Amino acid sequence: MKLYYFSEMPHHEFPDEEGAKYPSLRLDFPNRFFSPEKARANYQRYLDEYEFADRAGFDGLMINEHHSTPSCVNVSVNMTAGILARTTTRAKLLILGNILPIEDNPVRMAEQLAMADLISGGRVLSGFVRGTGVETWWANSNPVHNRERFEECHDLILKAWTTPGPFRWEGRHYHFRHVNPWCVPLQKPHPPIWIPGTASPETAVWAGRRGYTYVPFLVPFDVARELFDYYRQGAAEVGRTASPDDFGFLICAVTADTKAKALEAGRHFVWRMGPTLRGPVEYFSPVGMRSRAGTQFAMRARPRSLATMSYDELLDGHYIIAGTPDEVIDRFAHVRRELGIGHLLLEAQESRMDHPTTMRSIELMGAKVIPAMATG
Amino acid sequence: MRPREQTISVGGIDVHAWTGGQGEPLMVLHGAGGNRGWTRWVEQVAQRFTVWAPTHPGFGRSGDAPWMESIDDLARFYLWFIDAAGLGRPHVLGHSIGGWVAAELATMSPRSIDRLVLVAPGGLKPERGEILDIFYHPPAELRTLSVHDPTTIPEWDELFGRAPTAAELETAVRNQEMTARLTWKPYMHNPRLARFLPRVTNPALIVWGREDRVVPLDCGEQYRRLLGNATLSVLEKCGHLPPIEQPDTFARLVIDFLRGPIRP
Repeated sequence: MKLYYFSEMPHHEFPDEEGAKYPSLRLDFPNRFFSPEKARANYQRYLDEYEFADRAGFDGLMINEHHSTPSCVNVSVNMTAGILARTTTRAKLLILGNILPIEDNPVRMAEQLAMADLISGGRVLSGFVRGTGVETWWANSNPVHNRERFEECHDLILKAWTTPGPFRWEGRHYHFRHVNPWCVPLQKPHPPIWIPGTASPETAVWAGRRGYTYVPFLVPFDVARELFDYYRQGAAEVGRTASPDDFGFLICAVTADTKAKALEAGRHFVWRMGPTLRGPVEYFSPVGMRSRAGTQFAMRARPRSLATMSYDELLDGHYIIAGTPDEVIDRFAHVRRELGIGHLLLEAQESRMDHPTTMRSIELMGAKVIPAMATG
Repeated sequence: MRPREQTISVGGIDVHAWTGGQGEPLMVLHGAGGNRGWTRWVEQVAQRFTVWAPTHPGFGRSGDAPWMESIDDLARFYLWFIDAAGLGRPHVLGHSIGGWVAAELATMSPRSIDRLVLVAPGGLKPERGEILDIFYHPPAELRTLSVHDPTTIPEWDELFGRAPTAAELETAVRNQEMTARLTWKPYMHNPRLARFLPRVTNPALIVWGREDRVVPLDCGEQYRRLLGNATLSVLEKCGHLPPIEQPDTFARLVIDFLRGPIRP
């Protein structure tokens, strides 16, 4: 099983009582609490950690993008991918992902991803996501069109990568007279595509039909298994049998020299489960963004929100894994057995987890956990 | 005469409509909350006019129209509906987004309609203030912001007094989705509408609640200025829902305007 290092690049540099005054840390919390000085140092630190994870032996470096939130100030996955393409040498660059429905120029996105793929020597894994409602608000993109735009943006990027130009694109949401990118990916026919999922059966079926790697984020095992079944259903429709390599899973994980230290560090993940997800449902799921089937699945699949769970419950549910390297190996093996996955994505830094703790965790993962998980 | 419900097929879409009353035809276009049917003010107006109250495509019991993108699509659709339903040259009354539809269709074909009643319509960008983002607020909060004082609303219990059924919730979501489809960006206005409004010289009545917290009264003043032959009537102690908040006063205003002399 392959392991991936991931940091949301949080900006938890404000008094929590200030954030608590607003309906949500997303959209509403004023950016006067953003500290350019702290961010300047943090960006360097987070990139250092990614580069160390590359050297330590992680199979991939996962990067993501959010907007208008202190939970993630990585505001451009392609910019970060461009940096890491140059400053790392071996790990895959898992961009998970570009938020397709809010993109107005898929051709530009296709070019940027191609350039990152070229600079990295063909290491890009190109994830495409629909984004949360917050990103839809941020971009002022009509949530009713979210799925349509996701699919059309995807189709245009794929065509830009694989069909010799120039060609014309007159779709429903995108219109381009001359598509002829003078930058196409190194990987052929194109970089592998990854799709995350939390609650949409349609997305799982769609990914299965297309043979994309499918990764549920922070859901109970039974929900992940059900989503994987939807994926298999899509794969079967096109006569394909899914393998562990088609499936990934994302959890939070940290290791340390002692169990006590690891458990202390793991508490930082609680911030991303609770305070950063607090807010009216309209912010995260504006009207029309989710299909009826998706809404029904979400209500059935996750009776409890992560925000209501205690640290112990998050540990018990394997949303967070924190322990010595041996304990972490044991828990990762359990996740692999339960889900039959080939890729485990580790959100490995959060909130105010400090640099030394993060670096030591990366080091121990590289020295002990990654080699142990590499087989099987 | 008791109202009846019927379905009229227009452009492949089955449009549900309430019809009733007597007299000249009056087409009533509902707001984002959906078609509330034969409410108190409609009952009164229907004593003097034949009311046609269609449910917009994508709302309530009307068929879907996922291809529609904007309020002017819906306005063009209602010009077609007027023909298909054989309404001749009806008066048109629209509330909130329905008022915006009415204003758009009037600019497209002023001779297709008689008099125009716009009740707190969207459509214009306020010069002062902003149109409330109705998609950003939870439903209960939005209802509070929509009215001035719920305790003075005679039909409050009938309309909002009990928890909605699952089917009603589903309809509410569908109504919201269609509203988002039509009004998301630019939010609740058409930057070009102000350029076309002077074409409309039909007698027009604009009705606004002084305490409207959804669409600023400033927009009412703009409509009055831009339309060639319009009066603005402002109701005191009233929010964004004059037909519901002050049904008797509202009905009287509408009847008097539609039956009154044409202003020179």
